[in-house]
Amino acid sequence: MSLPDRIDPPPPKRIYRWDLDKTYLRTDFDSFRDLVRTAMQKAHQKVAVPGASALIKELADKGDSRLCIVSGSPTQMRAVLEEKLKLDGVKWDEFVLKDNVGNLLRGRFRALRGQVGYKLPAILESRASAPVEAEEVLFGDDAEADAFIYSLYADLIAGRVDERVLNQVMEAGSVYPNDAERVRQAWKKIPVADPVRRIFIHLDRLTPPAHFAPYGPRVVPIFNYFQAALVLLADGHLTAPQVIKIAVEMVQTAGHNIITLSNSFQDLLRRGLPLQHAAAALSQAMEGPNGLLQAMRPVPDIIAAFTKRLAALGTAPPPPRVQAVDYLALVSHALPRTHKERKK
Amino acid sequence: MVGTSQDIKEITIAFDVMGSDHGPEEVVRGAAQLSLEAPHIHALLVGDRDAIDGVLAETKHRAERISVQHASEFITMEEKPGEALARKKNASVLVAAQLVADGEAHALVSAGNTGACVLACARFFQLIPGVRRAALAAVYPTRGTRGEKEDPFSLILDVGATVEATAEDLVTFAVMGSAYARIISRNERPKVALLSNGVEPQKGPPRVVEAHARLSTMPGVNFVGNVEGVDIPKGTVDVIVTDGFMGNVCLKMLEGVHDTVVELAQYAYKEKLRWRAGLAMLSSGIQRIKDITDWEQYGGAPVLGFDRIFIKAHGRSKARAITNAGKVAAKAVAHQLGTAIQEGLPR
Repeated sequence: MSLPDRIDPPPPKRIYRWDLDKTYLRTDFDSFRDLVRTAMQKAHQKVAVPGASALIKELADKGDSRLCIVSGSPTQMRAVLEEKLKLDGVKWDEFVLKDNVGNLLRGRFRALRGQVGYKLPAILESRASAPVEAEEVLFGDDAEADAFIYSLYADLIAGRVDERVLNQVMEAGSVYPNDAERVRQAWKKIPVADPVRRIFIHLDRLTPPAHFAPYGPRVVPIFNYFQAALVLLADGHLTAPQVIKIAVEMVQTAGHNIITLSNSFQDLLRRGLPLQHAAAALSQAMEGPNGLLQAMRPVPDIIAAFTKRLAALGTAPPPPRVQAVDYLALVSHALPRTHKERKK
Repeated sequence: MVGTSQDIKEITIAFDVMGSDHGPEEVVRGAAQLSLEAPHIHALLVGDRDAIDGVLAETKHRAERISVQHASEFITMEEKPGEALARKKNASVLVAAQLVADGEAHALVSAGNTGACVLACARFFQLIPGVRRAALAAVYPTRGTRGEKEDPFSLILDVGATVEATAEDLVTFAVMGSAYARIISRNERPKVALLSNGVEPQKGPPRVVEAHARLSTMPGVNFVGNVEGVDIPKGTVDVIVTDGFMGNVCLKMLEGVHDTVVELAQYAYKEKLRWRAGLAMLSSGIQRIKDITDWEQYGGAPVLGFDRIFIKAHGRSKARAITNAGKVAAKAVAHQLGTAIQEGLPR
């Protein structure tokens, strides 16, 4: 009997899917000038959204998860983006970039700005090779169509959306036939399951949260990654000490403080997210020896700030209603931001 | 909580969200806009949580800079302040004032019932040592401008908080108004005058004559003597000092004149084609005057004399006025208006 010459890693229990621009990286591409400046930036000049790299590292801490990045950045930027991720200490398992030069050469101009025809097949194909029991948490932003695409993806693999609706959505989203075929093929390969636990939308453009209400409570718009960490603590993806580490990093590197963090916490409470247990766990974790926290502010002050924000609300707000997502009614959300139908 | 050395640059403004003419919507929108414009200012919104969240959810804002304190009741514009406050223990203005008094916020902004606001402040705030009575100030658009910012507004106080002011009170009002104009209008030496029925020092009731004599010897106040009512819209001086009775009558009259002019213009517009054409030709000039004298850019006016900052926004304030009221309040806090007043008072 011979021993195997390699040991495969265990299958992931959790998959974290991230967009890059405006979700992980602070990127400006709203004007041609921004676009050129972004393209010319070196790795060390790129800036991550505060708390994003800390969150990714904490989520990877158990070693039983995968990080899959699907970004709309062009493939020509792979080297610089990979270098940036390495500088930040982020290790990824998949990293898909958009072949915009190929789109241009083939005259697929709609695909340059289109998101559905690019991201949906990419994440479905990734899911097709994932273990059926692996849970997923997705991270996107409000710049384009992440909430729509991620929700549609989650409901497709859960069997809540049928092919007729999918085809109508892809038609309305001006998806090229070969991309639509990729979507259908990948979707049919995936066993029916309901793995998507949360979809976080980083509010880079500060889109009012009500815009995302039609997607139900699975989609959580976040103003910062401390909010994502709190929800992930409540969902069992992070421990309280890990959340504290993320908070400390945001305080030390991004100008956050006890007020901004406690306000962020209260904002989630007011939106009906069940964070009471998470708050209790955090409070307990703070009461232990914690040099990092003590250096920032006396722990009783921190606990008091959060407790006051909780008490200020009186009764706990009701959780948001779970509802079926009407993708046909929301199809304008899938269009590029500059599309006239979306601007209506 | 607030005001510790670690957060000295961070200023929290409590907004009484309820009770304005437009309901909570404009106040919440104003605070939301403030959260986008001023990184160092935090808004503490006090009022009905559901109403606040309903507006916030639909409004662009930065959640990190906004928190909410639920208050189940509020005082309407029509209610008698004293009775209403006695009956409504959880009125938003009371809760907000208490939060400021407790140090949870640095200043209070309200567009609600003025009487209730002043009473709430009197209940929870302390008068600055040396101040016997608080004064409600008002800003009024004038022909002249003043200060580094070229403010087209002068400050009138008192306009209703202290109906019967003594000579000592008038002197205090002069010091307070001067400090406020110096800080908010960036006017290094604001001209201060007493409102009287003549410019001569001996003109007016005894308390005005006595206040004139005292102010004339005070080096900290740039006192220029008496002015008459006609000088208010001219903008002859930057701060006009009077008692609450006279100030309120003046202010209401000035507002009445303004409304009458607008009504006359509307009448003229409808009455004759020639008049309409004339108004049309003047329209850009009229618009310019409107822009210059737009009180919403000022946001609100202070109640002076308490150890905490309170900015009273107009009941009709739209979001922009509320945003600016928040900025004015933050500026007053940052420049330590209370300390400036105390230092200017006669020993």
